[in-house]
Amino acid sequence: MIRELLRRLNFLLHRSRYERELEEEMAQHLAMLEQDRSGPAAARRRFGNVTTLKEESREMWNFRFLEQTAQDLRYALRAMAAAPLFTVTAALSLALGIGANTAIYSFMNAIMLRSLPVYQADRLAIVSWHSAKRSPVVRGINGTGRRYQGKGTTSPNFPYRAWEALRAQTEVFDTLFAYTYVQNFNAIVNNQADAIGGGFVSGNYFAGLGVPAAAGRLIAPEDDAKGAQPAVVLTYSYWQNRFNADPSAIGRSILLNNQPFTIIGVTTPGFFGVDPQSNPSIFLPIHAIPSISQNPAREERNRFFDDHYYWIEMIGRLRPGVTIEQAQAATRTQFHAFAASTAASPKDAEVLPEVSLEPGGAGLDSLRRQYSQPLYVLMTMVALILAIACANLANLLLARAAARRREIAVRLSLGAGRWRIVRQMLTESILLALTGGVLGLAVAAAGIRLITLLIANGRDNFTLRAELDWPVLAFTFALAVVAGIVFGLAPALQATKVDFTPALKEQRTQGTSSHGRVLRLSHVLIAAQIAVSLLLVVGAALFVRTLVNLHSIDVGFNRENLLLVSVNGQQAGYREAALARFYAGLTESFRQIPGVRSVSATAYPLVARYVNGLNVVIPGRTPQPGDPSASIMSVDPAFLSTMQIPVLAGRDLAPGDLAAPQVAVVTPKFASAFFAGQDPIGRQFVLGGGADAPFLQIVGIARPAHYNSLQEQEEQPVIYVPYTQDLSGLNRLFFVLRTAGPPASIVAAVRRTVHDASPSVAINEISTQSERMEQTISQERTFANLGACFAVLALVIACVGLYGAMAYSVARRTGEIGIRMALGAQRPKIIWMVLRQVLALTAAGLTAGLVAARFCSRLVESFLYGLKPNDPLALAGAAAALLLAALAAGYLPAWKASRIDPAVALRNE
Amino acid sequence: MGTRPDIPPGTLYMLILRSLARLGPMHGYGIAQFIQQISDDVLQVEEGSLYPALQRMLIKGWVTAEWKQSENNRRARYYRLTPEGRKQMVREVEEYGLVAAAIARVIEPAS
Repeated sequence: MIRELLRRLNFLLHRSRYERELEEEMAQHLAMLEQDRSGPAAARRRFGNVTTLKEESREMWNFRFLEQTAQDLRYALRAMAAAPLFTVTAALSLALGIGANTAIYSFMNAIMLRSLPVYQADRLAIVSWHSAKRSPVVRGINGTGRRYQGKGTTSPNFPYRAWEALRAQTEVFDTLFAYTYVQNFNAIVNNQADAIGGGFVSGNYFAGLGVPAAAGRLIAPEDDAKGAQPAVVLTYSYWQNRFNADPSAIGRSILLNNQPFTIIGVTTPGFFGVDPQSNPSIFLPIHAIPSISQNPAREERNRFFDDHYYWIEMIGRLRPGVTIEQAQAATRTQFHAFAASTAASPKDAEVLPEVSLEPGGAGLDSLRRQYSQPLYVLMTMVALILAIACANLANLLLARAAARRREIAVRLSLGAGRWRIVRQMLTESILLALTGGVLGLAVAAAGIRLITLLIANGRDNFTLRAELDWPVLAFTFALAVVAGIVFGLAPALQATKVDFTPALKEQRTQGTSSHGRVLRLSHVLIAAQIAVSLLLVVGAALFVRTLVNLHSIDVGFNRENLLLVSVNGQQAGYREAALARFYAGLTESFRQIPGVRSVSATAYPLVARYVNGLNVVIPGRTPQPGDPSASIMSVDPAFLSTMQIPVLAGRDLAPGDLAAPQVAVVTPKFASAFFAGQDPIGRQFVLGGGADAPFLQIVGIARPAHYNSLQEQEEQPVIYVPYTQDLSGLNRLFFVLRTAGPPASIVAAVRRTVHDASPSVAINEISTQSERMEQTISQERTFANLGACFAVLALVIACVGLYGAMAYSVARRTGEIGIRMALGAQRPKIIWMVLRQVLALTAAGLTAGLVAARFCSRLVESFLYGLKPNDPLALAGAAAALLLAALAAGYLPAWKASRIDPAVALRNE
Repeated sequence: MGTRPDIPPGTLYMLILRSLARLGPMHGYGIAQFIQQISDDVLQVEEGSLYPALQRMLIKGWVTAEWKQSENNRRARYYRLTPEGRKQMVREVEEYGLVAAAIARVIEPAS
């Protein structure tokens, strides 16, 4: 096969030689024939037509297809150059359509399809467990436990010794490596404190992933052992940004959470771990965990010797030839034995977690879970836009093909095959689409930046790693070719379905019966465009109204002019009482900053999707099955006043409560849930139910405020307690600064203040309260913004299409309109005549669109807030917008029609 | 041109291959002559099909071509059978044998 192709290629390259040879060969043949027979004439007669023979034998080499394509391409380029306005409009509208698709697809590729940049990623398998009921052997999960099928739990976290046990399973895994999720570190490099992300990894992690070092060496088994030299590996980008890619950084020591670590190496560029959502800067051995914790001995006991504490995550590299099912079966048995051995009693062993393996080639699935549904919605929207653009181009090409009917009829009657002409017209449309595709790449590049910004929504170093890589480029190319065929085929078929005689006789501008067919097709396309545009506009209206609804929610506090500053003094070495003193001092220093009205602090901000729930025990009250858990806010006493949450009864927390912190302010919901209408002030309760948990006294009731999200429907039972209540659990605090002016103006002063208080303390993040809240609705914001963009795009494309079709129709009817005017039709009447057609088309499109919208809008119901999918306002508004746009697009051709000079028009007849 | 029977469709390759196998390298004219002679003038190869067939066989790699002096001092292109061509020939002859025998059985008058 290949050799045959090579021979053909060889022929193509030396075509003239081959032809000469064939000619000579035939001439010789003829000569020999002449010699044997009576004379040249007879011989030639026998031989037949030499030229035809030559042609035929040339076709044999079968490059006719290529040659004809080259011919078609030349012709297409000439045709494109001859109609620059058409070409530019068409290419631009395609560029928008294809670009939008490419941009969204690049996100799909990055999030759902692309493999991790590691060696043979398809052999990786993620290990997780699930249990249908709560299992007694699982006493604590540190990681990402989730609901399993509505009631049970599933989690990728395991006890350390489970990993050791499974690692022995060498028949199915080449390696089974372990890691933790990425967390925050306070890194001090060159006396400058920085908050960076980092993960703990096992000694066989890099070898198991097959990730090479860009400099130095990576963590090996001997680094991940108790008592090993503290070692740290940098990611390539951190090495570049923080150490200017200096090779001498290897061997240097840096402080991580106040402990010295030696840099041993740098990972290969582009490596980010196994979670595409995270962006770590460093990797540490798992055995380094105790050394940087508050209580190393306790931490070591919990992490490495408690078989009921589930925290470590693992990925296995399957042995070649081992399927994931085989590995799962083997691992399941192994883990079952381990879990059974940890059960304290036979009763505990009745419900054991069960292992399952999932393909890990694309990394952890946190991103896929979060974004796959929104991406499908966006992909559908951009596909609809491309459909409108294609319908539009089909329409323009129909008009153009109608103008070329004579030419096509001539070619057909001269013997050109219909397929040949269709192919030539398709070449033209595909070339057009490819031009649009190339321009679309520029649109896509801009789109990717815009969408990343929209989703990041102020979070720095947020990335979804969407880029225009080869799979995306291939997608774009395929999309362009398909689009070219889709919008080119109907016009090409239509144009070559020619009834010869009338077409050949036809004058340039006259209409004939077959125009009825062209017009009908064109009208159907216009109505379809309007219907699809309506869908997109309805979608945009729903998303925008959702965003407006979210923004108009009363969250129960004043969200404006609040700056949040997250500081972790514990990572810099402050502990318990010293940490509380440090935070109190910092609060005082913040108060001195000019422009700051009041300052408070909290363990985590309101409406930022943080949840901290604990059970409540009230002396003298039996716990009820339906008791809610209470949401805890550990705050500085000035929190409620700084947030401007009023106290409804009793008193607010007071500065003195920091020293005597056994007090709480609760919300009315807490009061009604646990005290059933009685006055709770003065009553006592216990949090968590531990034996040594202190009694807390309720001193006041605060007005309810949204706790973890904007969307929460129900009021939460919330408790505000002084942050000094649990000193051993105290670590990071968010300081809340109420400013007089824009919060951004004091950011520099805040940074200075923290640095002055302690140079070794890093600021984890600074943002305003409203930015923080916006981040919780970044999906809705992205939908509203993109939806609006898409709707405008769809409207513009549809209007251009409508305008073009009406202009064409008016041009065809010039003679008729001239006659009407000559017979006394008034201008307004002519305008109305054209607009009536516009209205008819729009009405047809809107009707179809509204029916479709009733069904389609249900698919986005889960993305809406505060309105139903068939929101009448959104539907009516969208329909009205389209009607106006259609009338605007149709008015110009109508006005032009009314300006037709009857004399001129009739003379042209 | 008389009523000479046509060469059955699909057998031209086999005839050419067989001729080359029997006589060694030959030019196109020689092949045509040989087939005509050996078949007692029953099979006459049309030049109009001979040369396209030879081209196709070149592409398939069944034959190679080379310019040489012919016996009467003309330049002529000589076609030579390749091992691949030989295999193809065996295949085609076998198939033809099967088909011919089958046809013979079908048209044999019932006795």
